[in-house]
Amino acid sequence: MVPILNRDAIRTLAGTILRRILEGLLTAWSAVSLTFFALRIGIGDPIDSLLSQGLATPEQAQALRHDLGFDLSLPLQYLRYLWQLLRGDMGTSLYTGRPVNLVIAEQASSTFELALGAFAVALVLAFALGVISAWRKHSRSSWLANAIAGLATSLPVAFTGILSILLLSSALSSFASSQFTSWLQRSLLPVLVLGFASAGGIARVVHAGLRETMELPHMTAARARGIGGTRLLLKHGLRPALPPVISMSALQAAFLLTGTVVTETVFARPGLGRLLVNSILQGDYPVAQGIVALAALLYTGAGLTADLLSMMLDPRLRREA
Amino acid sequence: MRWTPWISLAWLVAMILISIFAPLLAQHDPYMPITQPLADPAPETPLGADALGRDLWSRFVFGGRISLSTSFAAALIAVLLGTTVGLVSVLWETHFDRLMLWATNTALAIPGLLLAMLLVTVMGPGMDVVLLAVGLGGAPAFAQPARIMFRQLASREFVTAARALGAGKLRIAFRHILPNGRGELISLATTHLAWAFMGITTLTFLGLAGDPALPEWGAMLNEGRKHLIETPLLAILPGTVISLTILSIHALGDWLSRDLEAHGSA
Repeated sequence: MVPILNRDAIRTLAGTILRRILEGLLTAWSAVSLTFFALRIGIGDPIDSLLSQGLATPEQAQALRHDLGFDLSLPLQYLRYLWQLLRGDMGTSLYTGRPVNLVIAEQASSTFELALGAFAVALVLAFALGVISAWRKHSRSSWLANAIAGLATSLPVAFTGILSILLLSSALSSFASSQFTSWLQRSLLPVLVLGFASAGGIARVVHAGLRETMELPHMTAARARGIGGTRLLLKHGLRPALPPVISMSALQAAFLLTGTVVTETVFARPGLGRLLVNSILQGDYPVAQGIVALAALLYTGAGLTADLLSMMLDPRLRREA
Repeated sequence: MRWTPWISLAWLVAMILISIFAPLLAQHDPYMPITQPLADPAPETPLGADALGRDLWSRFVFGGRISLSTSFAAALIAVLLGTTVGLVSVLWETHFDRLMLWATNTALAIPGLLLAMLLVTVMGPGMDVVLLAVGLGGAPAFAQPARIMFRQLASREFVTAARALGAGKLRIAFRHILPNGRGELISLATTHLAWAFMGITTLTFLGLAGDPALPEWGAMLNEGRKHLIETPLLAILPGTVISLTILSIHALGDWLSRDLEAHGSA
């Protein structure tokens, strides 16, 4: 797959990859800083809200302020926050007093399970819809695939989730045990619903890319050489169309992060999304800040991975500065 | 399909009219319990009642007022902010341009809805906060394509010609770039409106509007969810209306951009 590279080519390739990684780190750092300053300047002293709600006595508040470093100046607080973050410490929850790390770690596995499952569903569905809609122009199946992709991007997860619960309960109530139904509702439905919502955007890019490559001369040449069917489609048609699909998938991975918030609410599933909503409603900002910072890191990581994957697939992208 | 844009337009106009004339269409106060909780449809309450015995139809028509007006306002904030930032950064292409590019990219490193939630964390739950949060949270996502579009227009010959004739930056902005980018701006703004509407109803669905009694489509969907088996209509009505509205805005946006491609933008 990798063509013969001389030493110079390898050096520029390494330079491109290194620059891209540095860019990603810089973006993640700015995003984390942005959340820090937005919250610290916007909320002011978070301990005041604890005091006003009668959750702490003035002496406790003073001690808490000292422990959390709120008696320091803002730049010092920022440096302290960054230093703690580098060591993997995200502070303590204002309400439970437990480390944010621990609170997030407890909920993370459930959310990642949901997000990964949904991402797999989204990819499979998106490729199926995109290929069907691009393969035979103006056919009934192409129209249907397009319509389903359009619905997937437009229907809010909250509503598709509710509909799926309703359908399941009316379809299964007669013959299945309630245990089985609730298992489906906890684990399988959320993955399908969130995956469906993320599939639409990717399917559109698959469709557009395939349509474009099908017009290219190398497709006609391949067809003339007697290559047909799936081989023509997968090897000659789909591969050149992949880089934009990969970028779009990275974008959809970010959508998954916000999508889990709604999905977890609809299906009453524990996870980071529910934790985020609850901590926003309670004003427990260290937890909210931790989750948003984590999301920014994951998102930047996804973008970086997508770029590197595209470079592996498309030699033309490696030469770009 | 040929009729899709017209059906979409008709639906949106109907929803806007319902919202404007809500006081005439609603028979009851949307905040006041008037009958049994979860009552079935009756002549007095044509769609039945919600969990507190409030008239569903009245809450639905008043809900449109809040959902639609806040979405328009939030989209307007993003469009005005994004257009201004884009124009300024393209015309005064100095350090400001770099700063804006950096700020936009940074903000885009956090998904728009999470950015909006972060703002709600700062300002506390509330409908006005949700509006502002969705407006500001969506601004970077609008500014990016707008800036690219302005940049392309600014490098065209007629802008160079105007500059050579001694036109000032404001004149170039308002006489040359904005009129020529109008079609694409409208198409971008329409897509953004769909995003803003989805954002507003998502945040209110999550309860971030603060007041659970508020008649608002997203909040009503959340309330209806709790009584799904007994009275599914409580959730199905706001859910269907939200979905159809988003579908219609998307269909109009697609139609606008296809129209733009067919007739050229300049």
